[in-house]
Amino acid sequence: MFASKSRRVFTIFVLTLIVAISSVGLSSAQEQVTIYGMVNDAFARIWLENLVPAFNEKYPNIEVVIDPVPYGELLPKQLLELTSGAPSYDFIVTDDPWLPQLAATGLLMDLKTDLADVTDPDYNWDDFAPGALAAGEWNGGQYSVPVRSNLLLMFYNRTLFEEAGLEEPGEGYSWDDLAADLPQLVRDTDGDGTDDVWGIATYFGRDPLTPTIWQAIFNSNGGQLFDAELNPTFNTPEGIEALQYHIDLAQYGPPGVSAYTFTDTLEAFRQGRVAVMFNWGSVYHGVAINPETTSLTAEQVGVAPLPGGSAVDSSSHRGIWTAAIPREAANPEAAWTFIQWMTSQEGEVFTSATVGQFPARISTLTGEAPQDWLVDVFAAINAGYDAIGQGDMWRPRLPDSDGVQQILALHHSRAMTGDVTPEQALADAEAEIIEFLTDKGYYD
Amino acid sequence: MAQTTLKQKLGTTAAAAASVVLCAAFLLPVAWMVATSLKSTSEIFAIPPTWSFEPTLEHYQRFAGQARIVSRYINTIIIAIGSSALSVIVGSMCGYALARLRLRGAGVIATLILVSRAIPPIALVVPMYLVFRPLGLLDKHITLIITYTSFLIPYVVWLSRGFFIALPTALEDAALVDGCSRLGAYFRIILPTALPGLAATMIFCIILAWNELLFALILTNREAVTIPVSLAGLAADTEQGALWGPLTAIGTLTVLPIIVFALFVQKYLVTGLAAGATSGATN
Amino acid sequence: MTRLEALGGQTSKVTAPRRNLRRVFEPYVFILPTVIILITLLIYPLFYTLQASLSNFDTFTFSPATFAGFRHYERVLQDNNFWSSVRVTAAYLLAALPLQLALGVSIAFLISVQWPGSKIVRALFIIPMVVTPVVAGSMWKMLLDPLWGYVNYLLTLIGGKPVLWLADTNLALISVVIIDTWRWTPFIILIILAGIVSLDPEPVEAAKVDGANWLQRFVYVILPMLRPVILSAFLVRWLGAIKMFDIIYTATGGGPGNATEVINMYIYDTAFRSLSFERASAMSVLMVLAAFAFTFLFIRFSHWVER
Repeated sequence: MFASKSRRVFTIFVLTLIVAISSVGLSSAQEQVTIYGMVNDAFARIWLENLVPAFNEKYPNIEVVIDPVPYGELLPKQLLELTSGAPSYDFIVTDDPWLPQLAATGLLMDLKTDLADVTDPDYNWDDFAPGALAAGEWNGGQYSVPVRSNLLLMFYNRTLFEEAGLEEPGEGYSWDDLAADLPQLVRDTDGDGTDDVWGIATYFGRDPLTPTIWQAIFNSNGGQLFDAELNPTFNTPEGIEALQYHIDLAQYGPPGVSAYTFTDTLEAFRQGRVAVMFNWGSVYHGVAINPETTSLTAEQVGVAPLPGGSAVDSSSHRGIWTAAIPREAANPEAAWTFIQWMTSQEGEVFTSATVGQFPARISTLTGEAPQDWLVDVFAAINAGYDAIGQGDMWRPRLPDSDGVQQILALHHSRAMTGDVTPEQALADAEAEIIEFLTDKGYYD
Repeated sequence: MAQTTLKQKLGTTAAAAASVVLCAAFLLPVAWMVATSLKSTSEIFAIPPTWSFEPTLEHYQRFAGQARIVSRYINTIIIAIGSSALSVIVGSMCGYALARLRLRGAGVIATLILVSRAIPPIALVVPMYLVFRPLGLLDKHITLIITYTSFLIPYVVWLSRGFFIALPTALEDAALVDGCSRLGAYFRIILPTALPGLAATMIFCIILAWNELLFALILTNREAVTIPVSLAGLAADTEQGALWGPLTAIGTLTVLPIIVFALFVQKYLVTGLAAGATSGATN
Repeated sequence: MTRLEALGGQTSKVTAPRRNLRRVFEPYVFILPTVIILITLLIYPLFYTLQASLSNFDTFTFSPATFAGFRHYERVLQDNNFWSSVRVTAAYLLAALPLQLALGVSIAFLISVQWPGSKIVRALFIIPMVVTPVVAGSMWKMLLDPLWGYVNYLLTLIGGKPVLWLADTNLALISVVIIDTWRWTPFIILIILAGIVSLDPEPVEAAKVDGANWLQRFVYVILPMLRPVILSAFLVRWLGAIKMFDIIYTATGGGPGNATEVINMYIYDTAFRSLSFERASAMSVLMVLAAFAFTFLFIRFSHWVER
């Protein structure tokens, strides 16, 4: 009897202790939250090393775990992650053309409405450049917010322009001006009889991003890929002309330029071999500032939007990384706290100064640049936002945006190599896109 | 007589010289990779390319002390060895049965197992993800070990079947007469005899598993990520481009352990495979 | 031989039914683990792929929705890009496989000669296989780069003209075959070498006594004896080659145009870029069927040759 009673007392005692300990544990667990994010491998590390510690200074109770995924497989991974069961991520960072696909699943939070209660009253949505904020919109909802603004920009090597006796590209620089400058930028600098610096490097090879150059030219001359009913409207004399222009640029590139995509382009410009490069703005730090990756200096590198056409006096294309929160995320509030901090005015100043990513807020872009080298960059981005807004310069806003770019890339490349004429390439691309979109049920 | 020896000597010397030259030709790109990893960036992009340079470890320092790289290295080792060992144990049993035991439809089974290697990995990885996710099996070493066996086992079955056909039957007959069961005889007598061949098979398995990318990319997030995923990230860096220096540096680091391993077991590599290869297609 | 063995077993001992039963079932114990693992791992993905190829696939839930009949197969068979990728794959296989076999057999014969350093040379040949495909692709892209690459530099040193290895439509596939040959010939070398080492030395010695030179010995004695090994190496290599795409992916991205887009790369892009899982599945099914048919033919052919 006695033994069983004492055992009962002991049991109660132990249970009480367990409850006491676990309640202490629980209360502290409520304060300490871990959020998980799926992020492009290319900037995951700098986020972990610079961004997260700065965030934790202000919010020490939110631990941020960042999983990097290589760019090529990011979309399928995010799509699988969202659609097959309870999400294991609290936020995902996605590329511009992918957001419609992810938002269309209905599995992302509408940041403006679903999280309105936990949004900082000072968080000013209207301060974002409209063209940038549009990268996170789908069907009237705001499913993500720009964290890493990116635009196609023209980089030029001031030294090479000067040596060729040319004026550097200024306000109102047009496609015709570029065409006039390029032949003079191909030169033999050491007098050995072969050219060793060239006019231009950009996307020419087979890559889903290659058509964006053609699209920028086409858009700046008033063209659009589709009409409101999604009928292709690019197989036109203007579309063909823009494609021919893009193809002709390759004459003034280094040997092998016709296969160039992102990396080759970057390397040729960073090593001072080409005078002009069209590439994404986010490469600026590695092109002009970081001596580990470039042979150039900030003084040497000019940056501006791409040249202008008949409809818009400069051009660009949008490629903004935005952050989204899955509807079923375990800690949406903490994730939103992190994203709000990063995309607030304070956060944008910090990230553009230390992480090398560009702001999307007008107040940041027009305010005082946090670093000297950002003055030119901010100006170029500002002008770029104007251009994309005027010419609707972005990839098709459809769930199957990448599929369309893929088809354009193939036929662009066929025209590039001379396998087919630009006319034929665009006609084939048009037919294939119609078939593809029909198959996906867009015309039902 | 003396003439033949001289001729033979000359022949051997010529063959030796030719094989060294050919081997060098095959290794040249790898040598270039190692050399590039030791060059400074400006030397990598010299025109014309330079032959002599001041070696630097700057590209290696990028990875030194990165916890993520170290743990991914360890993951890769665990997964490559685990999946190869499992495949060799399981696959060799099957190879033995197909080679030696009376089995209805052995030829068809062997062909089917071989052809299963032809399935595009992309057609496997998505459904696998969909199955593993609700079971909580994503991002686990064991999951990759098991899934890798799906492409390693067919390989082991096909090669080991060859070794067993070539093995003398006297040994196992003796064991069987002694009252061993087939299974007992297999593990006690036959397996040890075929060990060199299986070791060689295992090296090939390790190489395949070591370099696997797609399954690792889709089925892991954090804890079980392997080195090829890091490499894919470096090669598809959308900010800095594929930096030649770091890429060749980590490429060198990835090749090194296997080379050391291969030199270590080189004795088995040729003698081991011998039996399997000769009779692989005779049945 | 196995049949004789079994007969012997039955006659020499007192036939107990239990023993017979064991004889029948025992082999299955050996193949069971393999069969279980392969079926568990492959049966659902295969079923899923087959189902997806016959359904209207819903990307929003990543699952096959309604039955679509053979619509996707029809589309695939009418798709110019599909047939282009089939042609590219065929051209690649027809160029790469014989080249790798010929090179592999010759080099294996050469390095089968024993000399003090021969073992090291043999082990070193494994290295090209070890380089991770992503690195191998990038590495060759750099080597073949018209601006900074060593290959063109060496060409100009010996008086040649710089060549656009990967940017030229006609050359790109050749470059891919060169890279693939560099990477996989060592595999053939090692298997054939193993075969040569284990050959019965007697016929070779006999030929030597009869005064055959090394070339004659190779062509008339060693090569015929090696035929089964060569066929076996070919089979393993062939099944690896039809699903090759990783090197192409990093080196050319399938371009220029669709000059290097092999079938497996097209399937990958269709599934992961265009997110058309149903079409990718239909192509996967067709590819597996074709692989099966050809492999079956090859095995039949090998039996026929041996007889």
